[in-house]
Amino acid sequence: MATRFPLSRRAWLATALAPGAAIRAGAAGMAEAMRFPRDFGAHRDSRTEWWYVTGHGMQGERVFGFQITFFRSLVPATQGLRSRFAARQLVFAHAAVTDIAAGRQVHDQRIARWSGLPSAEDGFGQAFAADADTDLRLGTGAEAWTLKRTGDSRYRAQAASAQFRIDLELQATQPTLLQGHAGLSQKGPEPRQVSRYYSVPQLRASGDIDVGGRRYRLDEPARGRNAAWLDHEWSDEFLPPGAVGWDWLGINGFDGFALTVFRLRRADGSALWAGGSWRDGGRLQVFAADGVRFEVLRRWTSPHTGVVYPVALQLVTPAGHFTLHALLDDQELDSRDSTGAVYWEGVCELRDTAGQPIGRGYLELTGYQSPLRL
Amino acid sequence: MRDLFLVFSWQEIRRNPGRQLVAVVAVMLGVALAFAVHLVNASALDEFAQAARTVDGRPDLEWRAVRGTFADAGFARIAATPGVAAAVPVLEAGVSLRAAPDGTARRIAVQLIGTDALGIARTAPQLLPRNLPGADRLDLFAPDAVFLNAAALQALGLAGQDRAGARLQLQAGQKEYPLRLAGTVAAGGAPLAVMDIAAAQVLPGMAGRLSRIELKLAPGTDAAALSASLRALPDTGGANLAAPADNASRVGDLSRAYRVNLAVLALIALFTGAYLVFSMTSLSVAKRAPQFALLGVLGVTPRGRRMLVLAEAGLLGMVGSGLGLLLGASLAALALRLLGGDLGGGYFSGGTPRLRLDLAAALVYGVLGVGAALVGAWWPARAADRLPPAHTLKGLGARGVTATHPGLALLMLLAGGLLALAPPVAGVPLAAYGSVALVLVGGIAALPWLVGLLLDRLQPLAGRQVLALLGIERARRLSGTAAVAVGGVVAALALAVALTVMVASFRGSVSQWLDTVLPADLMMRLAPAASSPDAPAFDAAFVEAATDIDGIARVEPTRLQRLQLDAARPAVLLIARNLGDSRQAARALPLRAAPLAAPAGRIAVYVSEAVEQLYGVHPGDTFTALDRAFPQAPPGRFWVAGVWRDYARQFGAVAIDRAAYRQLSDDGLSNELALWLAPGADPGMVRPALQALARDRAGVADPDIASSTELRATALRIFDRSFAVTYWLQAVAVGIGLAGVAASFGAQVLARRKEFGLLAHLGLTRRQVLTVVAVEGAAWTAIGAVAGVALGLAVAAVLVFVVNPQSFHWTMDLLVPGGRLALLGLAVVAAGTLAARFAGGAAASRDAVLAVKEDW
Repeated sequence: MATRFPLSRRAWLATALAPGAAIRAGAAGMAEAMRFPRDFGAHRDSRTEWWYVTGHGMQGERVFGFQITFFRSLVPATQGLRSRFAARQLVFAHAAVTDIAAGRQVHDQRIARWSGLPSAEDGFGQAFAADADTDLRLGTGAEAWTLKRTGDSRYRAQAASAQFRIDLELQATQPTLLQGHAGLSQKGPEPRQVSRYYSVPQLRASGDIDVGGRRYRLDEPARGRNAAWLDHEWSDEFLPPGAVGWDWLGINGFDGFALTVFRLRRADGSALWAGGSWRDGGRLQVFAADGVRFEVLRRWTSPHTGVVYPVALQLVTPAGHFTLHALLDDQELDSRDSTGAVYWEGVCELRDTAGQPIGRGYLELTGYQSPLRL
Repeated sequence: MRDLFLVFSWQEIRRNPGRQLVAVVAVMLGVALAFAVHLVNASALDEFAQAARTVDGRPDLEWRAVRGTFADAGFARIAATPGVAAAVPVLEAGVSLRAAPDGTARRIAVQLIGTDALGIARTAPQLLPRNLPGADRLDLFAPDAVFLNAAALQALGLAGQDRAGARLQLQAGQKEYPLRLAGTVAAGGAPLAVMDIAAAQVLPGMAGRLSRIELKLAPGTDAAALSASLRALPDTGGANLAAPADNASRVGDLSRAYRVNLAVLALIALFTGAYLVFSMTSLSVAKRAPQFALLGVLGVTPRGRRMLVLAEAGLLGMVGSGLGLLLGASLAALALRLLGGDLGGGYFSGGTPRLRLDLAAALVYGVLGVGAALVGAWWPARAADRLPPAHTLKGLGARGVTATHPGLALLMLLAGGLLALAPPVAGVPLAAYGSVALVLVGGIAALPWLVGLLLDRLQPLAGRQVLALLGIERARRLSGTAAVAVGGVVAALALAVALTVMVASFRGSVSQWLDTVLPADLMMRLAPAASSPDAPAFDAAFVEAATDIDGIARVEPTRLQRLQLDAARPAVLLIARNLGDSRQAARALPLRAAPLAAPAGRIAVYVSEAVEQLYGVHPGDTFTALDRAFPQAPPGRFWVAGVWRDYARQFGAVAIDRAAYRQLSDDGLSNELALWLAPGADPGMVRPALQALARDRAGVADPDIASSTELRATALRIFDRSFAVTYWLQAVAVGIGLAGVAASFGAQVLARRKEFGLLAHLGLTRRQVLTVVAVEGAAWTAIGAVAGVALGLAVAAVLVFVVNPQSFHWTMDLLVPGGRLALLGLAVVAAGTLAARFAGGAAASRDAVLAVKEDW
């Protein structure tokens, strides 16, 4: 419980983009086309960056949701310091496991400063994010939380805490999905409100999830089972003024499609900006800001915080109409006694208009407790 | 029983309210003092324990340099060692801060702590930076952001609301850095500033340096195995693994000794209270002997009579305790406000702790008060129990208290003397307190015997003086009763004398010590925090330039360095100054005894008493622990040539000749300059020259230049303030004692109305009767004063020679302020005589003649 830093991507933005901080409008590099594997790595010059792994896995009929996220944030004020301890970057990680059968979610987080230097020169030695490829580390040795991509489009994700342990291999089965216009994703009406954003949907997950004192080895991956999703996004400015909350969902379809929807909300609940994409087979459909609509089907009031979340949604997208249902209502993350943030993030099921389940993925709901300070 | 109490005892209480009042007040003051001291202790300790109370907020191990700072190169490796759950870098420096931009603002010395805001909560939550409302959270890492504790905010005048972003100027070494106030830290105590570790490393000489690394171990880690693997790490920058230094708790321990001392003295006041209850009850039982006898005849069992007396005393005790608790709480609140959490002891500067009322403690002290009253009433109650009813009714019963055998009293005095030789328990001289208690009780128990002895000698002196003879003879025949009346005054006077002697001894020794440590006319430092070795320092050129100033005859530089000699102990201060050979050193240091001359090839060091006790080195020993501070010197070279008194640095200091120090290290800096003026030079002229020099050569705008006279006066003023509480205790004790004497005499004289009547029948005038009473009073209190002073001196000797060295690791010379003690004694005798005279006046009124008839 070291810090007062928020966990969700939305709240992380509020931290990184602090008032008064100089914003480099339309930052250099934003207009360039994505180049891989370089763009799998960290972009230390951008203000904010995250790698967001979400997914579900099964052992028998037991369903688990899992999530490992790494955030990197540039600290403008410290760039000129000479010290090997200078906090030129902050690296933060959050991990959670939802055990649907047990009806509970456990989570933990870590944060450390990083001088931005390679490990051998870094004074503090607790955090690292490689430029060349996805290679993230927080902590040291066997206890470290890591996310590392190897040449064959395979990721290794590891995170352990007192209540759970995640040790997974994630094998890409589809090409990288460039969100927005070739990876340039508009996040608001202004041209500078833009991020670089790609996803790797339909990652086949294998490995172990320990929770509730037991180890569960995920079943051999089969259609619609053990699918994970990676989002990698970086930007100098995400949030248009007036946005108080952020809803995001990424769904791995059982038959291979990938659905991304996000929405930035105003204080009155209306959408300030929205977007997303649908990819099925080789065909990619990018949603316009006015093409996406959310309707609330069911609300759940948290018994812990009293915050009301929409846990069942009707989604109207250019790719069709769907409903989204939380697999467990209580996937709220209440960290008021440590980080102060309260939000909802959990594993969900996507259904078609006939009510048939057609995919699973993660839904993130932030800013429902009170408008976050900007 | 209840009815009996209401009819019999309640009437007695109602008819003699004055006498009961004295007993109640005695218990009340005793309880009030003890409870107040306890409350202040508890509140101050609470303030200290703040850090410890936060769950697991303490390092398990620390990595520290023996001297100064160490290179930060090994940090990542240490942090990555399996079993290390958290590693927190800390860089400490003594700097000064002032509110900018107006250069007129006062500079304050602060301890600057550079650390990692993301990790510090694991090992020192009190240092966790907290943003001001509305501030940027990334300020935690900003190079110009500083977080201040309450004491620093107050000293800078930033304690108000509009402080966010306040501009500050930090001075370290000879450079200034602009900063802004970004938030606060919870840490109490002296002014403290927290910055990011990387920002602190910008300060001069701090690049790539750390003061310590605080380690938190993963649960279930084998600490010994981890220590071994950490020690085996290559290239750790010259630092070593150590048990964590918790300075706050160490200062806490030290001030605990000071406060335990006060608490014990307050309990002696309660003891005086018990004694007065004893004397009141004894007299009351003696006076009511016929009534008790009648009760016995009417069928009240001996046990019933005893319970009746105990119930009376218990009631007085309860009322006294209740009032005492109220008074104690108010006194504690007042003392905290006026004197601070260490009752003026000067151990913690800054924040005043909040009063913390503690019901359990209130109960304990309440019970102690009632207990004291019951203990005091125990012997008189036994007397009421053993009363032979028939004899007493006929007026033949023995009156008063029978003298105890002197053997027991002497045994207690002897045991007290032996206990004084015992070592302390956990830093608190418990045995010595036991010794003080035994000496007091034994001394008072020996009183009847002593009174008898003295009056036997006095009796021939009275010769043919009828009135004197009458007075002395009566006192001699009833030495038991006399001792009861005098006991209270002896206890109170002993306490007062002991405190007076101890404080006078201490003050005398401090004054002598100041003379030796402040030999020059002026003392100069670059920053107020120069006692901290991290403060800016003078270089050799500066010293030379200062010597060249017109009006300055001689300059002596002193180098201060903090040495971490033992991982488990606080750092000691190394003082390098020109000491010369042993003969010259004897003049430069307040040595306890003449120094020894160091054998050839050995380096003479002079250790303070604290070092002597903490490290167990004595003159003539080799100080091997010092080898670690100078690894380049051949081991075993340091030789203890003498021990000096140091009342300033209670964790110890080691003095070494500057030339020897320069040979051991290439460190040519100095932190303090002692400046001697040329004959006839005007300090007012020299000061500006020194200030200009500091500005030009060191970039310091306002160095600390103080005349030794000023420093001396300030030191003694602080001393007097810190002992204000003891003076206060003294006054209360003497007050209780005198009230007790007056009340006892009043009671005794009232009980003797029959006797006065008889004297009147024999032809003595009222004046003559009063003279008899006054002579008796004078004789008794004179004996009491002599005994009180003697006992007080014995207790003072225990305090000076045992309690102080054991609690604070310092010694002092016993200094008896004869004049003040004589005055104190005379005041007691005069007060006693007058009290007897006035009490007699009330009793020997005309109806005394009638009193004789009462029984016939």
